Amino acid sequence: MPIRSPVYFPKSRAVNEIMLKTTVICFLASYGLAFACELSQLKRRHALARIVSLLLAVAGLVAHTFYLLRRSNQSDLPPLLSSAHDWLLVVAWLAVLVYLFVTMADGELATGLVMWPVILTLVITSRFVTDSPSHRLDYHRGWKMLHASMLGLGTTFVLLGFVSSLLYLWQHRRLKKRSMKTGAVKLPNLELIERLNRWAILTAVPFQAFGIATGFGLSIFAKGGELPMTWTDPVVIGGAITGLLMGVLFVWLLTQKRSPGRQVALLTAWACGFLLVTMIGLQMLTAAVGMRSIHGSAPVAAETAAEGRAP
Amino acid sequence: MNLLALYCTHQTTPLAIRERLAFATPERLAAAYTRLKERFPETESVVLSTCNRVELYVARPSDAEPLTPPLLAQFLSEFHDVPLDEFVGELRAATGSEAVRHLFEVISSLDSMVLGEPQIVNQVREAYRVAEAQGSCGSVAHALFQGAIRTSGRVRSETRLAEGKVSIASVAVGDFAKSIFDHFADKLVLVIGAGEMAEETLRYLKDEGVRDIVVINRSPERAERVAAEWGGRTAPWSDLNKWLGQADVIVSTTGADKPIVDAKLFKQVRSANPGRTAFILDLGAPRDFDTNVGDLDNVFLYDIDSLRNTCEENRKARVREIDKAREVIDEETAKFMAEYYHRASGEVVSRLMQDWHGVSREELDRLFNKLPHLNEKDREQIERTVERIVNKLLHPPLEALKDEAREGTPHGLINALKKLFGL
Repeated sequence: MPIRSPVYFPKSRAVNEIMLKTTVICFLASYGLAFACELSQLKRRHALARIVSLLLAVAGLVAHTFYLLRRSNQSDLPPLLSSAHDWLLVVAWLAVLVYLFVTMADGELATGLVMWPVILTLVITSRFVTDSPSHRLDYHRGWKMLHASMLGLGTTFVLLGFVSSLLYLWQHRRLKKRSMKTGAVKLPNLELIERLNRWAILTAVPFQAFGIATGFGLSIFAKGGELPMTWTDPVVIGGAITGLLMGVLFVWLLTQKRSPGRQVALLTAWACGFLLVTMIGLQMLTAAVGMRSIHGSAPVAAETAAEGRAP
Repeated sequence: MNLLALYCTHQTTPLAIRERLAFATPERLAAAYTRLKERFPETESVVLSTCNRVELYVARPSDAEPLTPPLLAQFLSEFHDVPLDEFVGELRAATGSEAVRHLFEVISSLDSMVLGEPQIVNQVREAYRVAEAQGSCGSVAHALFQGAIRTSGRVRSETRLAEGKVSIASVAVGDFAKSIFDHFADKLVLVIGAGEMAEETLRYLKDEGVRDIVVINRSPERAERVAAEWGGRTAPWSDLNKWLGQADVIVSTTGADKPIVDAKLFKQVRSANPGRTAFILDLGAPRDFDTNVGDLDNVFLYDIDSLRNTCEENRKARVREIDKAREVIDEETAKFMAEYYHRASGEVVSRLMQDWHGVSREELDRLFNKLPHLNEKDREQIERTVERIVNKLLHPPLEALKDEAREGTPHGLINALKKLFGL
């Protein structure tokens, strides 16, 4: 498919050039340095290091945004629909936004120590999944956008649930061990993390469920050159299993009047961790072995054949 | 520098004596200022009187007879009607730069009972404010106390002397309870026993917004008193298990000789609320809660020893900052003394320049009267030349004075200049 001329590019030539030169390495380096700043404050928080870390995060986010815009213009598709590579970067972009929001609200909190490894993993992983734009968007474009958005938002909330679970377990351990040294890393209180964790899961599951449901619907009503859903597609199997797991967690949380802290955190950490590893791992696997998948990882031959069937 | 500080503090003097020398009420303080002014006219004075110290700072003009510690001690004795021999051995004195350094150390809390405590700054500020209101402050007192306030600001911002909590109750609430709970308004606080430590903890918890307090004590009268003071309610000892099952924060200070709650009992009483988090502060010695209660899920048990460790670590961290604080104080003391001497020599400099320029002006006027044919331009040239001569002649002695002021007190040179030039 020919790459169309840029549609959303800004008119300024300077900005245009910066956008063209921005690569994943640019924001990956910024985020990496921001994480290093956080690590340097493990023993004692420093105002200067906090400011540098924040500036690096903002710089990284700007580069990240430029990169996503460029990719979107090149493929003439929204990043969520473009490829698994772009989709993961959108989730990472949302996570950075959340991190910045939390840091602005309370600069003392060391949430970056947990957030950055997750964000960096997403960005690094995006290099190992397919970055070829999907060519199968002639039909049901609105539904496909809804499907990708729901899964993207759902995954972001799952990620937040995962991060908050880790924070809870860390703070819980510190309190049990009575190690609250002055000037050391400051974490949110257990009650707050528990609430955030609960809401992250309760919000993530409906998004995930709706995303999976629209995905099934789209596969059943596949038209033209689109690949129909097959039950052997690893992404479909993985998505279904983890979706079910999250659904169970969701129902269990809803039935609890008062969540018993550490148990929930452990359960959420495992469930969310499993979901993230499964989803990302499967994307990587399909890209690595050229396995047939409806999420853009079909081998070239299969894709060409599919395109040949198009009316 | 004619500055004297006479003081007795918690480090040197027993409370029984400090109490008798204290200026406990505003009226007594006002009366003290009036008596100081009567007895030592032309003297600036500031009285700092807190529960841990009684300090008098007095300053007189450089050429006035200096005040001596025995004179001030006599004043204290007469004012408080306490025989001199009962306290004179407890007093300490410092003069000049040592007096400045002492005040800077006091306001920076290096001399406080709790290193890094913040109240002393307000106490010094208040003492300065009262002295100013009483008209007892002059240029030296203003400079001294403003310098002290600046110094304390620097010490607090450039060192970690005030970081970390050092009392058991403040660590319990500030470091631990606040790391568990987000807010306290909806938390039920159960106080078992009614010891002093429990009351201190209640003070911190009230500051955090606690509203619901239940006090249980074997002696109902004492429970009633504590409950009334902190806006709580009492419950009979027989209801202990019921309240143990409901409380979010438990503060225990009974005088029991063995634990009154073990893990089995606690698990049983909490069975109705299994997910509910409990923060237990066991301040009893011996402990009121068996240590294995702390192993239960969602139970955070802290006893005096575990809290004392944190206090001690914080205290050690503060002690490590003392040297840094002293560096700031040394710097500020040197700066204050240099400014003071610069001001003192500045007076002599300006008087000397005024006198010499006055003489030259008179002579020039006389000359211009004798030579009326001189035009405006010629007069101006002559005036400038004379001015340059005066300035050049004054330059070496004034530079010598400035150099000496930089190194310390230039009294010798100032007196010599005064005598030589009849200032």
